[in-house]
Amino acid sequence: MNKRRITIVSVLAMAMIFLSGCGFPGLSSSSDDTIRIAALNTTEQQILASMDQQMIEHYTDLHVTIISNLGSSNVSFEAMKRGDADMSAARYDGTDLTTILGKTSSGNPKTDSETVKKAFQKKYGFTYLPSYGFADTYAWMVTQATAKKYNLNTVSDMKTHASELSVGLDQTWMKRSGDGYPAFQKKYNFSFGTASPMQIGLVYDAVSAGKMDAVLGYSTDGRISSYNLKLLKDDQNFFPPYYAYPVATTKILKEHPELIKVLSKLSGKISVSTMQKLNYQADDELKEPSVVAKEFLQKHNYFEGSND
Amino acid sequence: MKNMNLGQQLVEYFINNGMYVLQQFSRHFLISIYGVLLAAIVGVPIGIWISRSKKLSDVVIGIANVIQTIPSLAMLSIIMLGLGLGVNTVIVTVFLYSLLPIIKNTYTGMQNVNEDILDAGKGIGMTAFQRLRFIELPLSMSVIMAGIRNALVLAIGITAIGSFVGSGGLGDIIIRGTNATNGAAIILAGALPTAIMAIISDGVLGFLEKKLDPSRH
Repeated sequence: MNKRRITIVSVLAMAMIFLSGCGFPGLSSSSDDTIRIAALNTTEQQILASMDQQMIEHYTDLHVTIISNLGSSNVSFEAMKRGDADMSAARYDGTDLTTILGKTSSGNPKTDSETVKKAFQKKYGFTYLPSYGFADTYAWMVTQATAKKYNLNTVSDMKTHASELSVGLDQTWMKRSGDGYPAFQKKYNFSFGTASPMQIGLVYDAVSAGKMDAVLGYSTDGRISSYNLKLLKDDQNFFPPYYAYPVATTKILKEHPELIKVLSKLSGKISVSTMQKLNYQADDELKEPSVVAKEFLQKHNYFEGSND
Repeated sequence: MKNMNLGQQLVEYFINNGMYVLQQFSRHFLISIYGVLLAAIVGVPIGIWISRSKKLSDVVIGIANVIQTIPSLAMLSIIMLGLGLGVNTVIVTVFLYSLLPIIKNTYTGMQNVNEDILDAGKGIGMTAFQRLRFIELPLSMSVIMAGIRNALVLAIGITAIGSFVGSGGLGDIIIRGTNATNGAAIILAGALPTAIMAIISDGVLGFLEKKLDPSRH
């Protein structure tokens, strides 16, 4: 009798798991009150995604799951378009202008960002929420020794030695249209001797260890200051401004209007130097992005009372 | 940070992020378990069903074999086309890979049940269901369990790769380690718990398998 009862219970339990179909308990995979945040495989994105997650969970009863390690901002865009994700931890207006919308920068960051916001709202139904407050951009960087050896101050200075230089590039930047490597070669009118596509997190170590002469990295990375790297000035203004914004689908904002208020609390709160510090903690001090985000939010009391 | 050796870094990492590792650990385990459970729900009945017909068993096991030969990263990408990013894709992948060991072991277990005992069952007037319930299943349970055990160890490895489609789990820690300076400690912090999880689940299921072995009663 007892055995039969166990059989019945286990059959029922299995049937329940089966019936719950897509919603697996404990994984918050997909249900109405779950917000899915897309994040790229960069430290910065993962910290920001964790911040958004913890802010939302602190102020609302919603559940949040992070879809992490996406390969490029195009992938995260497609994920939102398909409905796999409800928001992106951070999109950079400069990237969206040149890659998604296929336009060139007008030279005025403000007009550019207005163009992107309007086009995203109209074309895709995505809402740009208020910016975190910092701009991240691609920057060429070299060690101080290399800078001295070739007398480098600006990107154009690399032209005379370009054929002998070996450089490391972000693998997503290498092939993308708009502001990618092909456009760069056209604008600056030179290309490098060897250009190796690399995982973005590795370029800083590669250049400081002397394995590369110059690399293209993110200006917000904490390792620039800790390795004392020299940033080369983008004298032709090739890279448009990349202000970082949380972007959500208009649909999810309609269903959960409180999200706007919660995420606006972070608006303007993260400066470039703050972001560099946070990135550095995760990249160099053995802390996970979610832990870095938690410490930052707790230190600021979850921005209680700001932007209400 | 740089003047610590690997062991010290690892300890430092666990002090900083203990809770996070624990969360990812349970998430990783749940993903694997769900996939294997679903496969057991589907696979065991299929195994029983095909043990009745030689022709059918060749076809079904052949299909399961073909599924097994697809590399896991390719399988994840294929399923992602349909199910999108996220945890469900990984669960389905785990499910598909778990089918073969479970179906095959159920089939083998049923085949190895002694004909004489089945005849005796018939002789005392048991129905087909009763023979299955009281003779075949108990006698093949330990073999079926061995299949589930195989599947779970396999599943834990596949779930680690699932991080590439954004499912979370311990694979996230490993991937991040490849991106960070001094990443060796972080990679280990993700890889060691994964290995420990596999070893422990293997041990627990191995124990169950022995318990269910009728020759030990």
